[in-house]
Amino acid sequence: MAEPAIYFEDVNERQGVFHRRAFLLGGIAGLGITALGGRLAYLQLLETQRYEKLSASNQFNFKLVTPPRGLITDRNGEILAANRPNFRLLVARDEDQKPEDTLKTLANFVPIEEPRMKRLVRDIKNAPKRAPVSVMEDMSWEQFSAINVRAPELPGVTADMGEVRVYPHGGAFAHVIGYVAKVNREDIKPTGPNSDPIMLHPSFRIGKQGVEKAFDLDLRGKPGARKVEVDANGREVRHDPNGDIPAVPGQEIQLTLDVDIQNRALEVFGEESGGAVMIDCRTGDILCMLSAPSFDANLFVRGLQGAQYRALANYERNPLLDKCLSGTYPPGSTFKTMTALAALEAGIDPELRVSCGGGMQFGGRYFRCHKKEGHGPQNMRDAIKNSCDVYFYSVAHRIGPDRIAAVAREFGFGQTFDIGIPGQKKGIVPSTEWVRKNRPRDPKWHPGESLSYGIGQGMLTANCLQLAVMTARLANGKKALNPRLIKSVGGREMKRGSDAPDLPFPQDHLNYVRDGMAAVTEAGGTGFRASQLGLGDILMAGKTGTAQVYSYKAGGTRGKGGPGGCATTACSWPSRRSMRPRYALAVIVQHGMGGSTAAAPRAREIMRVALLKDPELVARIQKPLPMPELAPDPEADIVPEAPLMATAEAPPRPASGAPAAAPPARDPA
Amino acid sequence: MTVSALTRPGERDRLIVKLSEIDWIFVLFLCLIAGAGAVMLFSVAGSSWTPWAANHVIRFSICLGMMIALAMIDIRVWFALSYPIYGFGLVLLVAVELFGDTRLGAQRWLSIGSFSFQPSEIMKLGIVMALARFYHSVSADQARLSWWLAIPALMIFVPVLLVAHQPDLGTAMLILLTGAAIVVLAGLDWRIIAGAIAAFIAIVPPFVIFVMHDYQRQRVLTFLDPESDPSGSGYHILQSMIALGSGGLLGKGYGLGSQSQLNFLPEKQTDFIFATLAEEFGFVGCISVLILYAAVIFMALRTAYISHSHFGRLAAAGLISTFTLYVLINGAMVMGLAPVVGVPMPMLSYGGTVMLTVMIGFGLVMSVRVHRYSEITSGKGSLL
Repeated sequence: MAEPAIYFEDVNERQGVFHRRAFLLGGIAGLGITALGGRLAYLQLLETQRYEKLSASNQFNFKLVTPPRGLITDRNGEILAANRPNFRLLVARDEDQKPEDTLKTLANFVPIEEPRMKRLVRDIKNAPKRAPVSVMEDMSWEQFSAINVRAPELPGVTADMGEVRVYPHGGAFAHVIGYVAKVNREDIKPTGPNSDPIMLHPSFRIGKQGVEKAFDLDLRGKPGARKVEVDANGREVRHDPNGDIPAVPGQEIQLTLDVDIQNRALEVFGEESGGAVMIDCRTGDILCMLSAPSFDANLFVRGLQGAQYRALANYERNPLLDKCLSGTYPPGSTFKTMTALAALEAGIDPELRVSCGGGMQFGGRYFRCHKKEGHGPQNMRDAIKNSCDVYFYSVAHRIGPDRIAAVAREFGFGQTFDIGIPGQKKGIVPSTEWVRKNRPRDPKWHPGESLSYGIGQGMLTANCLQLAVMTARLANGKKALNPRLIKSVGGREMKRGSDAPDLPFPQDHLNYVRDGMAAVTEAGGTGFRASQLGLGDILMAGKTGTAQVYSYKAGGTRGKGGPGGCATTACSWPSRRSMRPRYALAVIVQHGMGGSTAAAPRAREIMRVALLKDPELVARIQKPLPMPELAPDPEADIVPEAPLMATAEAPPRPASGAPAAAPPARDPA
Repeated sequence: MTVSALTRPGERDRLIVKLSEIDWIFVLFLCLIAGAGAVMLFSVAGSSWTPWAANHVIRFSICLGMMIALAMIDIRVWFALSYPIYGFGLVLLVAVELFGDTRLGAQRWLSIGSFSFQPSEIMKLGIVMALARFYHSVSADQARLSWWLAIPALMIFVPVLLVAHQPDLGTAMLILLTGAAIVVLAGLDWRIIAGAIAAFIAIVPPFVIFVMHDYQRQRVLTFLDPESDPSGSGYHILQSMIALGSGGLLGKGYGLGSQSQLNFLPEKQTDFIFATLAEEFGFVGCISVLILYAAVIFMALRTAYISHSHFGRLAAAGLISTFTLYVLINGAMVMGLAPVVGVPMPMLSYGGTVMLTVMIGFGLVMSVRVHRYSEITSGKGSLL
């Protein structure tokens, strides 16, 4: 057979057309492939960098790491708030796995009850993509390892070790330090530090109260990141430790509080409701600030069950209220020193005697003294010593409310202090102007009100911190000390309380009142027994007060008439001659029946701890000294509203009693 | 073997002579492409022969054997089987319309026992053979412009509409374009070609808006602006372009393509295998594979060129058109130049059906080459 012959023109033409067009087809194919090559060159040679970036952002993910929260310590470095390890179980939404099934599998290893399971399923479904939900905290090591072994078969499940806040002293510092808790929707702000994505991290906690809230940003630190390789479903494939960004731990905050004093204060309060604030009279440092009863802040870290919270909130002794700052009470007779100073300022001769016959008639009402049979003629010194009401009634009437108010304000009443934490209530310092502004229905000051004012009752209210500040300023005798709670933040020392102007009163007036207070504890003084510290020559002075609560509005107390609150202010005088008081203390006991029986013994116990922690004083106590001659006065404790103040006779100051470590003491005038 | 020996009657029917007539360079290039596919499938499975690479190699080996066997079949047998195969395909398409399985929202599959397949694949072959058979019997004038052309038009549009109704727009388009290529190669009048192109361009926008299914329209719209919805329907195109672009000149290295290894690339073992290749071997690897494809296309086209029978020419050229369309459409899709349609890269992608179709097609092409001097009497087949 020969080559197929082309017999017809037609066949020849068909072949020719085909050849031409096949050539064209080949050309089109070639063009197409060249175009693909060109596109490849564009993508792979010219746009490489752009796509490399996109590829890397697909491949690598930075997972936020919560920074360790800053520690909170007391003045000696004792830890008040720390972090402890916590084995957590986290579940994230996964495309291939229903959360119900995952949780059912997990229920074989950790307890997950039916109602909680439902809530968790909802949480997981509603969570943002790749944001894990905490299923269980504080797993045991066995549970942790059991789940970790099986984690590869359980997509979306991770068991990791986080940190959780812990308050080793439980309730003692709950009101000052506050607590941290899970971030709420309301905590997240569109801008500012609270817009940080770390807020969404399941192990992140935000400060909710007290120091934790006020210094949240300092304590928080800077979040770090783990560089991880993820697949398209967001599952972690590999970890690149070299790419990690370390977290910066939060700053340490040192408070001026003292663990031992604070714990002892909590102990002595027992079931009672009240507050105690102790201030160092030289520096203004707050050594103790306790509100009782308290609550365990650790409960809030984990999240409180509704019933637990209701139990706390509904308890009549109000553990959630900070009674040192947020509760205001009539200060009662502890205020008489203010009235006395106001009288001196008004030019009243302190030697002027007022005769006390057990009460006085005024404006159609009989104002009684706490001592029915009367104190007899009293000068100012006697009146402070005996807490004679009649004397202060008549003095207050003569000088009027505005002079008293002016002195009270200089001593801290009616104001708040910059101690770093919120929640202070100002209380009320009544004056003619105040009445005009705040009592529109009865804008005129009634002279009878001055009488109550003079003995610290009536409309006057103050919080426990203000009472302590008053005592500290009086005890210091010179400076208008400011209280300080935050000693340092991240090693930077905060402003000292003693960097304050002098009190705007003549020194002899201040000294007179101080001398009067000291006189209270002489033989015949009322606060003798409670002032027996048993600490050698260390003296304790004080002033008690019992306030009648006339109505619910009068203060934070919820008594029904009768003796409502009682307050004691006390300060320790290391030595009479030097007149260098160390510690000022204010104690308020609600429903305490009487300042000398409820508050004063507690003040004594708290004061003892503080004194025994002061190395200079301890050194002096341990020196053999002659016993002071003192005669107990049984009357002191049966008087319902009496000043309580005791001093021990001071021996000469030892020449070399103070160890080098003792803080320098200042000798006021 | 001398030229004179080959001219001896009956000499060309000897098996050994036929085998020697196969274009073995062409076969080698096919093996290289399939080998590249196996290498990539090994990589995307996380350096594992299972589940894809081993299967791919086995399938290719079987298909290669089948291709060589088919190349031995006389061109006149192919010629005679043209209409029956086309008819069989048509019947199956109707059957799938009536009894087919629905998978992933499309009715494409026909199951016989445990064996299931897509009849549209048979039609890819059938349309080429039937049209070649038809044009073999018509004159140049008739092929250029005559009422006879209603027959090829019908032959093309009936299967196209059936497949499009499944809906499998990608395959329908492929059949339509393959048929059109043959009609053009056979000598259609230029005016009609120009008119058809104009009509096509005019009809596309209303078609996209009114006829397409939502997901199909979404694909087209996404293609026009892939970054409009990067995690939704634009995801595939975007991830594929990221894989390509990040490969750079030399690639990230074998087994180190993060886009494919970490599953950002969808369908990494089938439709987007080329993107995996691009990511791990870069521009150099891609161009090498494209050159292999170009070589395969031009060698096959040359076979069509040298065939002495019109049937052989058109059949070979039609099959090359199909193959070329596969390569161009898949390439364009992977590179973000075309919407996502389910067209794999032939020989490179994992998938038995397409490989089988393509290799059977190449069997026919080789048969055309082996029997290029055979004469087919026009009209009636001489063997059957």
